[in-house]
Amino acid sequence: MSFIEIHQNFGEHTQFLALFIAVIAIVWITLVYYSYKKYGPKKTIMYFVPIIIATLFIESAGVASGRYYYPGYILYLSVVNGAVPLIILLAWSVNLFLFMNMGRHFISKLYQKQNFLQIIYMSIAAGLFGVCLDLLEDPIAHYNNWWIWTASLQGIKFYEVPILNFIGWFVLIFFMSLATLLIERSRFSENRKVLLSITSISISGTLVFIIHGLIVRLFEFLRLS
Amino acid sequence: MENTVVQFILDNIFLFLPLAITGIIITLILFFTGKKENISPPEELTSDNKTLFNIRINVYVLVYLFIWIMMIIIGVLSHFLIPTLVGGTIAVIPLIALILIEYTSKKSKVL
Repeated sequence: MSFIEIHQNFGEHTQFLALFIAVIAIVWITLVYYSYKKYGPKKTIMYFVPIIIATLFIESAGVASGRYYYPGYILYLSVVNGAVPLIILLAWSVNLFLFMNMGRHFISKLYQKQNFLQIIYMSIAAGLFGVCLDLLEDPIAHYNNWWIWTASLQGIKFYEVPILNFIGWFVLIFFMSLATLLIERSRFSENRKVLLSITSISISGTLVFIIHGLIVRLFEFLRLS
Repeated sequence: MENTVVQFILDNIFLFLPLAITGIIITLILFFTGKKENISPPEELTSDNKTLFNIRINVYVLVYLFIWIMMIIIGVLSHFLIPTLVGGTIAVIPLIALILIEYTSKKSKVL
């Protein structure tokens, strides 16, 4: 299986996929342009590239594990035998930038001290905001076949979407926001911050894996998954 | 056969472990060899508020509102009404929270 796959069955077995892709494309272009104008190219790379790399691995593993799949897109990327549409990776970069800044805006009004605790609060708020939107988006996506959760999956579900998915959203947005905000506030040079944001995916990815793994085990123990 | 993502990574640990270890080592090298500047990086002072139809609104609230409206429209057009209503109600909480915090902070500044 190659790294890049091009499929020719656009929109097959799906509803409103073109509209969904258009929404992501509009939002992505708007936010990248806004970030570039406000923060410059280096910070824009720091905000958008690491999450694309991280979710390429996570989503590819999710597809390869057989939990869900993405039918009807054109351009797919694959790293561990699981094909993920490019637009989904761009959507994840939107998620991080949007929710992290919403969390930052919200917490900075409530807690003005610029310390580690403020970054923790901001990351928690970012994760919660992300889950709130996903509770709307994921059931609609599953219903319209933008991505399909395997019917045989066990455990608690929210309109056919496993609850563990929403926990995964929180954990991922929390740790990626935390890493991004910590690097952003560090006193390293801009070039080093960009490098650190990319290499630190290994640390935040490992933490996501451990924490999410423990939650999965807890759910299995409680027979909720 | 489906599996959890965590189980999948454990099954392919010899692929993921070298990647993670290499990344962690490079991060530590970058962290400990980098010169730190003496001054703290300045917080961005420019506002995220924009004026649209004579209303000042936060850019991120506006983008979130756009996604929320589009998802509601798609949900309704799909005749997926109850989950759209339930999800839409939950998803409006961040919007309300951000608008309320903006309003209360402005009010306290005036007082």
